[in-house]
Amino acid sequence: MSVSFLNRERTIAAPGFNRWLIPPAALCVHLCIGQAYAFSVFNLPMTKLIGIAQSAPGDWKLTELGWIFSLAIVFLGASAAVLGRWVEEGGPRRAMFTAALCFAGGFLVSAIGVYLHQLWIIYLGYGVIGGTGLGIAYISPVSTLIRWFPDRPGMATGMAIMGFGGGAFIAAPLSVWLMSRFSTPTHVGVAETFIVMGLIYLCFMMVGAAIVRVPAPGWAPAGYSAPAQPKPLVTTQNVFVYDALKTPQFWLIWWILCLNVTAGIGVLGQASAMSQEMFHGRITAVAASGLVGLFSLFNMMGRFFWSSTSDYIGRKNTYFVFFALGTLLYALVPYTGAIGNIGLFVLCYAVIFSMYGGGFATVPAYLRDMFGTRYVGAIHGLLLTAWSMAGVFGPVLVNYIREYNVTHGVAAAQAYNVTMYLMAGLLVIGFICNLFVRSVHERFHMRAVEAEAEVEAAPVFGSE
Amino acid sequence: MESARQSPSRGNGIKLALAWGFVGIPLVWGIVQTLVNAIKAFQ
Repeated sequence: MSVSFLNRERTIAAPGFNRWLIPPAALCVHLCIGQAYAFSVFNLPMTKLIGIAQSAPGDWKLTELGWIFSLAIVFLGASAAVLGRWVEEGGPRRAMFTAALCFAGGFLVSAIGVYLHQLWIIYLGYGVIGGTGLGIAYISPVSTLIRWFPDRPGMATGMAIMGFGGGAFIAAPLSVWLMSRFSTPTHVGVAETFIVMGLIYLCFMMVGAAIVRVPAPGWAPAGYSAPAQPKPLVTTQNVFVYDALKTPQFWLIWWILCLNVTAGIGVLGQASAMSQEMFHGRITAVAASGLVGLFSLFNMMGRFFWSSTSDYIGRKNTYFVFFALGTLLYALVPYTGAIGNIGLFVLCYAVIFSMYGGGFATVPAYLRDMFGTRYVGAIHGLLLTAWSMAGVFGPVLVNYIREYNVTHGVAAAQAYNVTMYLMAGLLVIGFICNLFVRSVHERFHMRAVEAEAEVEAAPVFGSE
Repeated sequence: MESARQSPSRGNGIKLALAWGFVGIPLVWGIVQTLVNAIKAFQ
């Protein structure tokens, strides 16, 4: 049974609808799910649910709690990959509505887990249910934004994905403030905070679902006309979601994303420790936490800046910049430590993090250029498995190499040098992958008959 | 391709302001909080 309010037909925009209402709709969703990056603020309080002032026997350990976030990211990748086609064919409102129920529901189930002190309920709540909501929400506005902004697809998707980077800026202080309001000398206040945040996110995401619209068939922005001559590496055809998996382009872009994210995520988690050890005595733990906040801002702003830039210089060239400049900067970081130049270190890291975010934000438009708009959201969902892979490889590489160096007598200040050179090497491989990206062969393009059949199968879809 | 003319009416302007304010205000608040904490960290 379907609720008509959620149907794609009900979301087709009326004439005169302003397309600049779509980015806020997307941001309503992405700002909420960006909370995932700030989940760690709950970790320490959840280790003291019984002991209150300090951990008591029976309290959960940090290692056990770390699995909540990991599970959520695994289910983000899995749901985006598996449900991508469902999201694409059912339209953005149904997807956003479902994502809101899952994400907020995850918080509410987790609150029960905290209340009953049953960790498996939190794994199920935030990890499985919330993680599924994360995946659906992440891809839900992508193709809609691309259709509304055929003239600036990079900028449009960059705005939404910037929201995912920015969500943590809201969630972290909000969570801390709510816990302080609900805590008493005998109670930590995590369960109540989960309930309030779940309800806030439910309302916020529902507003996004209510605002979102898809353009009417044949719609184009005022003054826009499709280029008479197709641009190189920008297709006007569509590729079916599962046919995209058969193309070398999909796997080249998969590796491009995976390598860019591996390099970034590897040093992201280590930025605080690395800055303190490289500049021992000059950067304190408190200053390092401030630096991490600053780098996160560059991560967020880079999402908008680089994806917008890609509309002018092209997707392939944007990734060439990420890989060439990234290689140079990663290789330069050990030198900044050797000469003790904190300013240069911060500058290198700021640009590295901007390109890390930029890699996430530019990839939907890269997929659109390669595979067309029809299934871009679903293909993007499949590509997010690269993120899940990088999320495992990046931190493992950095942690193990550092550990190996330290146990073999390398000074702490130099222990990260090999890691940085290795990351630079990964970016060189990414550069080579990007070099091989060519237009998708026409045998993978959907034929007119197939496209029509797909439209009939999903009659709510408006073909441009 | 058929073009649909977009005339920014007063109603549209109010909707836009509300929608962007709805997402912009919390985001700016969060960024300011982060910057304040970052500045505190360096003091």
